[in-house]
Amino acid sequence: MKIENHILGILQLYEYGMAIGKSLDYKESCDLFLKLILKRKNLNAAWILETDDNKMSSTYSIPFGEKVEEAYSSEFYKILNDIKDWTLLDNTTIISKIAPITITNGYVAIFNLKEQGYLFLYSKKQNITTKDLSQLQPVINKFSINLKACKAFREQQNLLHNLEVQNQELSDYAHMVSHDLKSPLRSIDTLTTWLKDDYSEKLGDSGAKQISTIRDSVEKMDTLINGILEYSTIGKNKVSTYKVNLNLLLKDLIKMIQIPDNIEVIVKELPVIIGDKYRLQQLFQNLISNAVAYNDKAQGKIIVGCEDRGDTYEFYVKDNGKGIDKVYFDKIFRAFEKLENNAESTGIGLSIVKKIVDLYGGRIWLESQVSEGTTFYFTLKK
Amino acid sequence: MLITSKNCSEIVTAISNHVGQNAVLISVGEHTEIDINILLSELNEAGLKFIGGLFPKVIHGNTILEKGIVINTLNNAESLFLIKNISDKNYTIPKFNFKKDKDYSLFTYVDGLTSNISHYLSELYQNYGMQTNYFGGGAGSLSLQQKPCVFSNEGIYQDAAVGCIMQMASKIGVRHGWKKVGGPFIVTKAEGNVIKELNWKNPFNVYKTIVEKHSGKRFTDDNFFDIAKGYPFGILKEDAECIVRDPLMVNENVELVCVGELEDNMVVDILNGNEVSLIEAAKTATEESINQASSPRKAILIDCISRILFLEDNFDKELNAITNTIKTRFPDVSIGGALTLGEISSYGEGFLEFYNKTVVVGLFE
Repeated sequence: MKIENHILGILQLYEYGMAIGKSLDYKESCDLFLKLILKRKNLNAAWILETDDNKMSSTYSIPFGEKVEEAYSSEFYKILNDIKDWTLLDNTTIISKIAPITITNGYVAIFNLKEQGYLFLYSKKQNITTKDLSQLQPVINKFSINLKACKAFREQQNLLHNLEVQNQELSDYAHMVSHDLKSPLRSIDTLTTWLKDDYSEKLGDSGAKQISTIRDSVEKMDTLINGILEYSTIGKNKVSTYKVNLNLLLKDLIKMIQIPDNIEVIVKELPVIIGDKYRLQQLFQNLISNAVAYNDKAQGKIIVGCEDRGDTYEFYVKDNGKGIDKVYFDKIFRAFEKLENNAESTGIGLSIVKKIVDLYGGRIWLESQVSEGTTFYFTLKK
Repeated sequence: MLITSKNCSEIVTAISNHVGQNAVLISVGEHTEIDINILLSELNEAGLKFIGGLFPKVIHGNTILEKGIVINTLNNAESLFLIKNISDKNYTIPKFNFKKDKDYSLFTYVDGLTSNISHYLSELYQNYGMQTNYFGGGAGSLSLQQKPCVFSNEGIYQDAAVGCIMQMASKIGVRHGWKKVGGPFIVTKAEGNVIKELNWKNPFNVYKTIVEKHSGKRFTDDNFFDIAKGYPFGILKEDAECIVRDPLMVNENVELVCVGELEDNMVVDILNGNEVSLIEAAKTATEESINQASSPRKAILIDCISRILFLEDNFDKELNAITNTIKTRFPDVSIGGALTLGEISSYGEGFLEFYNKTVVVGLFE
């Protein structure tokens, strides 16, 4: 008979265990497990309280009740903080203050769910034993992990939702920029050209100069808009990837970039990697252009190279330019962040670089000494 | 009160005289020769508030009847409700403000042949919790064909439940008397009221092995229920009588169809009972309620129709055991009720359960 009781106990624990992890919804998970416990053990109520430094709040209750929002006073701290795994109380006076439902006499078992708070099981009758609680402990641990997974899943869902919203907003913004801003910009450019051509005599040298300033500003704004568009479209469309020989890519790229005579660009042996030629070109072009733009030395030097790091390649673009103060290291990759008021810069180039590296699952960072130069490192998977 | 008239006007007059301004619980035997829609219409015209159901048989005193209407006054009824769409879980339990330090009893009849009754009971408990006692049963036809069977002032419905919350103390006893003959087994796969796997094996084969050995009878193509009515399943509860589930038939996939729902990983025994154990259990359930009661005005019996199918002529003994036990202690208490398709209550004021093959005795003060 005794063995049979043990077997029944084990089977009951099996049923409890199997009720856990069927859902990643917090309430549904609690319903599935705690309603079963209440039914099988003939209990009256169950609830979960979460605590932080200042307060306790209920996150689940069966039956429904008033939501508990109570200061985490020393009175409760003393009771709850002493619970390592579980405790069984036959005096419900204090606990009634933090119960969502009205409880008078009876018995309360409290399980420590660690990060997930405390689980309270209430029975009017004395049908909870310390042996029951010891047997339940491993199952409750599993339940606690399930609750943690539910929360992580909910956070992930919220994050995904927010990302979707933000992506949509960015997409709408890019659309607005491309159509609503570029169109008047083109009109301004055309009108100023006509002004310059048709009224050159009336405008005089001074007027012509101001017209040129307007057109320069229009061109700068056009560049900025194009940058925003580039930034917002990276990763939005699926692009096919293929083998790209970076030596050939860099060779063509160097020809495209206007490099002053006093700056030497050295490209070391680079690997062939899997990627999209257009994005990789954007990546190197932005880094090399920056290295050129911010070089203040009489003999400028830019070195592009790569180290094999096992699963990844670690690339670097090293210059002997102005260098960057350490306080700007994080800020530098954010869109529209410029370290100096350079009229030629849009402040979006390094954001595009980071976004491309992120897209390829890599990492980007820099080392720099003011007045001595900067090295940008980034990794790309093989 | 028992009404045997076939005339709806007479029935309404009798009910009205009996309950006065109170609400009324109306339990109708399924073969009662009345037009239920006309009756409901006339009850509404008379301004009566009511809930009720159609049942295979009704109980009045020591008598069971296929035809007849049993009336129970619902004293101090504070809320009557109708819940539709029980099977698709698409409903809301009405809010009710229970006064502190007052006793409440909730009486409910549900379509006993609909699905997701457990969910309905779970929702009741979730919303009303320990603030009330619960008591009731499953309505429907012994033909086991689902049709409109619960009614209120709003009409008669299937796949629905009706209920009443009364400010009234009640004392409830629940017992079945079935004992274990095989198990434990794990319901490794279940869907609604169908056991698809037992101990990872075909459920009928597992069941058959135990039952044939114990009964000395062999299952054939047409005798499943004749044997199975004496061998229900019992869902294990700790320190309490198990919850009985009645196997009804074997489906085309050789799976076991039961009355009432089962869930994956439930631990069940196979049970058997006899005249003595069942009648003794009915008496014990009655004593349980009597021992808690002080001055009850009426007793409502909810007894499973399958107990009469099993006990046959001996069911009179069960009913006598109940009524005699009540009358010995409280001679003036009126006794009425129904033979139902499933019974509703909670063991020891705990979580609500839907039972089969069980007797529930409620004494209302």
